[in-house]
Amino acid sequence: MISRRALELATAILTGSFGVAVVVQSLDNGIGWSSEGVDAGTFPFLTGIIILAGSLYNLVRGIVPAATLASVPIAITSIELWRLAGLFVPAAIFVAVIPLLGMYMASAAYVFAVLAFPRHQSVPWSAATAVATALALYVVFERMFQVSLPHGALAAVLGF
Amino acid sequence: MGNLAELLHGFTIAVTVPHLVLMAVGVLLGILVGVLPGLGAPNGVSLLLPLTFGMQPVSAIILLSSMYWGALFGGSVTSILFNIPGEPSSVATTFDGYPMARDGRPTTALATAFGSAAFGALIGVILITFLASWVAQVALAFGPPEYFAVYFLAFASFVGMGGAAPIKTVVALAIGFAIAAIGIDTVSGSVRLTMGIDELVKGVNFVVAVMGLFGIGELLVAVEEEFHARAVSSKIDWREVFRAVGRLPRHSVALLRSAAIGCWMGITPGGPTAASFMSYGIARRFSRRGRYFGTGEVEGIISPETADHAAGTSALLPMLSLGIPGSATAAVMMGGLMIWGLNPGPMLFVDQKDFVWGLIASMYVGNIVAVALVLLTVPVFAALMRIPFVVIAPLIVIICVVGAYSVSNSYLDVVMMLGFGIVGYLFKKLFYPLAPLVLAIVIGDKAEDAFRQSMLMSKGSLGIFFANKLVTCLVVAGIALLLLPLVLQLARPFRKSTSPAAETAAQEKVII
Repeated sequence: MISRRALELATAILTGSFGVAVVVQSLDNGIGWSSEGVDAGTFPFLTGIIILAGSLYNLVRGIVPAATLASVPIAITSIELWRLAGLFVPAAIFVAVIPLLGMYMASAAYVFAVLAFPRHQSVPWSAATAVATALALYVVFERMFQVSLPHGALAAVLGF
Repeated sequence: MGNLAELLHGFTIAVTVPHLVLMAVGVLLGILVGVLPGLGAPNGVSLLLPLTFGMQPVSAIILLSSMYWGALFGGSVTSILFNIPGEPSSVATTFDGYPMARDGRPTTALATAFGSAAFGALIGVILITFLASWVAQVALAFGPPEYFAVYFLAFASFVGMGGAAPIKTVVALAIGFAIAAIGIDTVSGSVRLTMGIDELVKGVNFVVAVMGLFGIGELLVAVEEEFHARAVSSKIDWREVFRAVGRLPRHSVALLRSAAIGCWMGITPGGPTAASFMSYGIARRFSRRGRYFGTGEVEGIISPETADHAAGTSALLPMLSLGIPGSATAAVMMGGLMIWGLNPGPMLFVDQKDFVWGLIASMYVGNIVAVALVLLTVPVFAALMRIPFVVIAPLIVIICVVGAYSVSNSYLDVVMMLGFGIVGYLFKKLFYPLAPLVLAIVIGDKAEDAFRQSMLMSKGSLGIFFANKLVTCLVVAGIALLLLPLVLQLARPFRKSTSPAAETAAQEKVII
């Protein structure tokens, strides 16, 4: 399980490091005033400083928890963490295999996997849902909206 | 009154058979995206945009705006019947809407929500009718300093009045500005903040952020609590509908206050989500029955719903007359306007009278169509929600992935969308506000441009923001709003009664 405090700290560190990255990157564009007016890096530099300062404040608030934080010490219980992973991990794998399998096959495989493996639905029913999803995507995007979704490296090898 | 004559002319454009059909289609599609959690009005409108390219601009905007009304109504249906907000802006409706429906009064809850929503929308449209052309006239004289001051005021009002922890709001805003700055700088043409990834030169489209923050982020929050769509009965008792609407005038104070909050939050780019939360929070503090909020109070439904729709409607006012979208959806519509070859902003009221007044007239008609259709179709869309969440969740993931991809046919966008999903989950969990983040991404570039153009005009002196009465007022009001939370905190030790801990705990519950 993850405590509220740890989550606050992790988020503050996450936003803070984004702030640092913004500050460092904006220095490349120059900050301050030049003959062309305000330099391109100035505005991002200022926002980066604000992000960093705000994150530090939130970090300190996280280390020295106020009364409100103490009242909810646990942010995510282990059961909740398990459920989160159950949604997010398959979704991340789905996104990762899109370049290989293409949008249609990847989404069909994804739907089949999340329905059939945890036994939420029977195998034939999962397969039917998976095929229907891929077909619906094809009709709506490729046909109606004329948006070509990625077909994937595998389809290219097979000659589609 | 010249406005009324223009409005009547607008009605002759809006009330034609093809336009009424478009309104019905738009509203139904809108209810569909509104009902599905993870798919919202911004996503829906951007998915529909390519279909409108062959249309007359006025027909296209009627279709898109009707979809917006439908989505606003659809989000409330699932909030009340299933305790699942279909839209971020209807989260506050679940607090009292679901308890009331669970107590066996779903019709009362739905009718109260729709009635107050229609009232909020009506106030918003009336405001647009009488104010929009006047604002446009004033705005014709606006220069960059005035525009920057308006943006500044809008963002300051988030910090001062948004209700979330002020520093967290500031961080969310600043992250949005930084994300907006990624890519090619519109003034100097130089490449900024690409973090070594060449593809980021094109920038981060806000639709990608919206799909992740609201779509995936919300799914993660929803899956965490073991999810049961325990539907309460979705049968509509028509006599109760009229009785519930008939009881609304008794709450006229709440109605008017919420409409005012909604209009304010819609015009300054606070958007419907912030408006509904703020209205709910204020209603709980000032209502005589505030203690009972959360158990199915009528005013707990009226306040967020009225403000939600008033904000959603009046968000089109600054889009039309200033070219500043008042909400994420309005920003997408503004993109549409530019694609159709129209130039949003004050000149619209001079050059495109038919378009402007046809749209305004269609708002009156479209909201009536929306109320009728949403009441008729509640059982149909409620049946949709009986599909188990384990089936719906992967489908929504796929829609978000495809939606992010189709913005600019980029795989990187899909990966970023997933990253935004994690950020959205963390931010929701820790009460960082999401709306300012998205709005900063949408109009961050414009705010920066306005600032830099002002600096060019004044050769680097900040004095230009105090050069005339108008701009001084705007800037001073913005600074006052920024300092408001600080002043309140300093004043707290001098107030004796309420314990600050209890107050923030309650506040955190409201701000999600």
